[in-house]
Amino acid sequence: MPAESRAEIVLENAAASYGGRTVLSGLDLTVRAGERVALMGRSGAGKSTLIGLIQAQAPEKVALVPQAAALVRTLSVFHNVYMGQLDRRSTLHNLRNLVRPAKADIAAVQRILDRVGLADTLWAKAGELSGGQQQRVSVARALYNGRPILVGDEPVSALDRQQGARILAELAQNHETLILALHDVALALAQTDRIVVLEAGRIVLDAPAQNLDPARLSPYYEAA
Amino acid sequence: MPGLGRLGRFALGLVSLALGTAAQAQEKPVPPLVFTGIPDQDESRLVERFGKVATYLEGKLGVPVRYIPVKSYPAAVTAFTNGQVQLAWFGGFTGVQARRAVPGSQAIAQGAEDAAFKTYLIAHAGSGLEPTKDFPKAIAEKTFTFGARASTSGRLMPEYFIRQAFPGKNPDQVFARVGFSGDHSRTIQLVQSGAFAVGAVDYSVWDLDTKAGKVDPKAVSVIWESPTFPDYQWTVRGDVDLTYGAGFTEKLKGALVGVTDPAILEPFGRSKFIPVTNAAYEPLVEVGRSTGLLD
Amino acid sequence: MQLARPRPGYAAVSRWFLAAALAGLLVADLHVTTLHPWADLARLLDGLARPDFPSVEGWSVVYTVAFAVLGVGLGAGSGLLLAIPFARSRTIRLACAGLRAVHELFWALLLMQVFGLSATTGMLAIALPYAGICAKVYAEIIEEADLAAIRVLPVGTGTVSAFLYARLPEVAGRMRDYTLYRLECGLRSSLVLGFIGLPTMGFYLESAFRQGRYAEAGALLLVFYALIGTRRLWIRGWTVPLLLAAAPLALPPAIGNAAISASLARFLGHDIVPTPLRGAALAEPETWARLWSWLRPILTDQILPGTIQTLILAQIALAATALGALVLFPLTAKRFAGPLGRPLGRVLLVVVRSTPEYMLAYVCLQLLGPSMLPAILALALHNAGIVAYLMGRHADAIPYRADAPRGLNLYAYETVPRLYGQFLAYLLYRWELILRESAIFGILGVTTLGFYVDAAISELRLDVAVVLIAATALVTVAVDALSRGLRRSLRIDTLPTRLSGPAPVAG
Repeated sequence: MPAESRAEIVLENAAASYGGRTVLSGLDLTVRAGERVALMGRSGAGKSTLIGLIQAQAPEKVALVPQAAALVRTLSVFHNVYMGQLDRRSTLHNLRNLVRPAKADIAAVQRILDRVGLADTLWAKAGELSGGQQQRVSVARALYNGRPILVGDEPVSALDRQQGARILAELAQNHETLILALHDVALALAQTDRIVVLEAGRIVLDAPAQNLDPARLSPYYEAA
Repeated sequence: MPGLGRLGRFALGLVSLALGTAAQAQEKPVPPLVFTGIPDQDESRLVERFGKVATYLEGKLGVPVRYIPVKSYPAAVTAFTNGQVQLAWFGGFTGVQARRAVPGSQAIAQGAEDAAFKTYLIAHAGSGLEPTKDFPKAIAEKTFTFGARASTSGRLMPEYFIRQAFPGKNPDQVFARVGFSGDHSRTIQLVQSGAFAVGAVDYSVWDLDTKAGKVDPKAVSVIWESPTFPDYQWTVRGDVDLTYGAGFTEKLKGALVGVTDPAILEPFGRSKFIPVTNAAYEPLVEVGRSTGLLD
Repeated sequence: MQLARPRPGYAAVSRWFLAAALAGLLVADLHVTTLHPWADLARLLDGLARPDFPSVEGWSVVYTVAFAVLGVGLGAGSGLLLAIPFARSRTIRLACAGLRAVHELFWALLLMQVFGLSATTGMLAIALPYAGICAKVYAEIIEEADLAAIRVLPVGTGTVSAFLYARLPEVAGRMRDYTLYRLECGLRSSLVLGFIGLPTMGFYLESAFRQGRYAEAGALLLVFYALIGTRRLWIRGWTVPLLLAAAPLALPPAIGNAAISASLARFLGHDIVPTPLRGAALAEPETWARLWSWLRPILTDQILPGTIQTLILAQIALAATALGALVLFPLTAKRFAGPLGRPLGRVLLVVVRSTPEYMLAYVCLQLLGPSMLPAILALALHNAGIVAYLMGRHADAIPYRADAPRGLNLYAYETVPRLYGQFLAYLLYRWELILRESAIFGILGVTTLGFYVDAAISELRLDVAVVLIAATALVTVAVDALSRGLRRSLRIDTLPTRLSGPAPVAG
């Protein structure tokens, strides 16, 4: 990771609160292009809120994998994935694709689905898929979106570790920068190069992954 | 929710209250004589004519007289059959309907003009129809509007003449489209605007509306005058003598026949009222049967 | 059992309905038979813009409210009593279905035969169908309620006590909401009863429209909108007893009294008995042959064509409602209308849905002449207003993802697909209501079932009228059953369908 690469996300003294309860406070975080960052910490530590702040920093550069898959259950997998590029096509084309999908778009979406192991589900209704499949559709939508910064909130939580690793590798190959909230320590250490740990709304650890091991991270998870 | 239970009891109490007041009203020594009339033309004219009749009758009969407006021909007949009104200004056909439903009721007076009443067929200028002496068969395939369904001059008689002119056919088969305007004033407006090419209208309402300047002679004109038939009449229930004393029916007839005030007669389009009996309307029963409107 | 037989999906059902509506359009009579509809419309709008308030008959406003309060009070009270045995008794369910399948105007036409043009007629015409509707809805509310409390009651607790202690407290809030909503409907029904002669605002509206006194009509309409628009201010839990106490004092004075017992006896014993059966020997096969030859032409010449026309009108109106709602609902949704547009959109939809469809149809028929077109317009406007309003509320409750698209893309890819099940639930529910109204529009001259009822009443053939009204009720019940079946098969039968339901929650 070249140190001089440009800063994509800069948060300075960021704070957030919900209904009077402070969730994040005095938080400084800079993510540079090309970094692969894992956000870790107990549930309730503020990861999802931080993900939201990051996404809001540069929405036009971000492809998002939200925590809940956020699929439109009544539409097909194709349409859900295609939604990743709605903003880059003419509305007329989008409306037409709802009724009669264009061949080129089908092919493009099919390629994406191949990469996440959902080759056979192109026309299945999203609501009829299993939880793990839905999560991969959500990932596929972000892949199809293709914007340089991938922000994911537990994007592989419903998958086994091997599958998860494969999906994260796909994301890494596809997007220049990754910012992922993860809870699987081994996966985080293997697939990212920087670990940021949150506790009670503050960053308590920010270090290169290669300097860390599971033992070093375990205190932040015990009693969770 | 206790409120609802209370609400239910409340409502029940109210019904008994309403029925109770109704019963009380009947116990009064002289209940008002209530009358109505078929709503055959513009309502403002109805209110004017019947308001004057109510005042006049009250003075002559010495009992309170009230007019109750209705929205349709059958509503007038219903009010008569269920006893809400004792007297009504009916058309020829509604009178027949009412008297068949209420045994003992009598036609007591008609307008002098009602003995020989007429229907006008009127046509829009754009229809190309010309006035004729004989029934204008050229109206076939045009659009046609009757008045109210139970109107004598706006439905029963014209339908009868149409069936005679086109044997074996009903109006739906004769015309391109058949409508029921609801009343004679509306029939004139619809034909005048061209919405319908031809219409059947009460000749007295035509005359009244013409006098009132509501008819544009360039847009609509009479193309045929029907043979005459008996029409409007005052019909009274048979039980009024019981309620208001023996001889009341005769007294009422006398009062109606004795109307001389043009202010009362004019809104009716009648010169005076003359005595009449049920028998005068027998021909309409036959016509009603032959058109299928009566059993 | 996920692999059960294939069910029709949302798309299939939508296509069937749209195709049926298109087929209906091919055979429907859509003529405009007046020549200057735009000129009349302009005069009407001018009247609305320059209302003549002094011409409004003040008492008609009072009577409108009094009929509504008493009719709904009586209907809701009986509805509550009927709701308790509703789930257990098939007889009561059938009776309630019959009560609500007959439109309040048909009830009024029948009641007038016995009670005359009186407060009793007005009150009962509202109370009878509302009792049927309230019984059903209250029973559903009771059924959906949490049963936890009832399970811990001591064994042997009486039905009524169990209901009062463990059920009613659970359901009272929703019942109150629904009853207050019914009162709003009651105001509309009360107004419409004026069109056939009861002294409510509809009486004067009808006269004003018929004679083209649009300034008076405009004033009456604006007063009515104000009445509905301010209902939340004066229809509240604590004002209901006051309204109920004041309403009987504010009823119109009786003008003449129908001889009720005599009329009732004649009505039941003679008028509605089929002509061939009156005074006939019922044991004679001859009598029944005559009954059949009496009934057959009614079936073939009136019920059959009337039913077909009613179904066609309802079908086209339903499709038009669907399209209208899809176009209109973004007006009231935050993401589409924005902070300025949304309140305006709401006002528009509230006005549209506050207008009784019968009155809308009456006005459209005056403007366009008697064909299906004005009836379709009236039904579609009113119902699209309601469905759009409800959809707007759901649209605001959708939890969109943070990077959701905007504008038409959001509409087409997120909002509509997410709400589509709910949308179909609303439409299928309104199908029956639209059908009921379609039948009644016959009174105004469209050749649906009500057209033949009107003719029968004009000819004083009440026996025929009652057969036709019963046929109308049967068609309504059948469509209701079909709608339920479809909703079940689409698995949208548990979604909310009522206007009074609680606002949807996010999640």
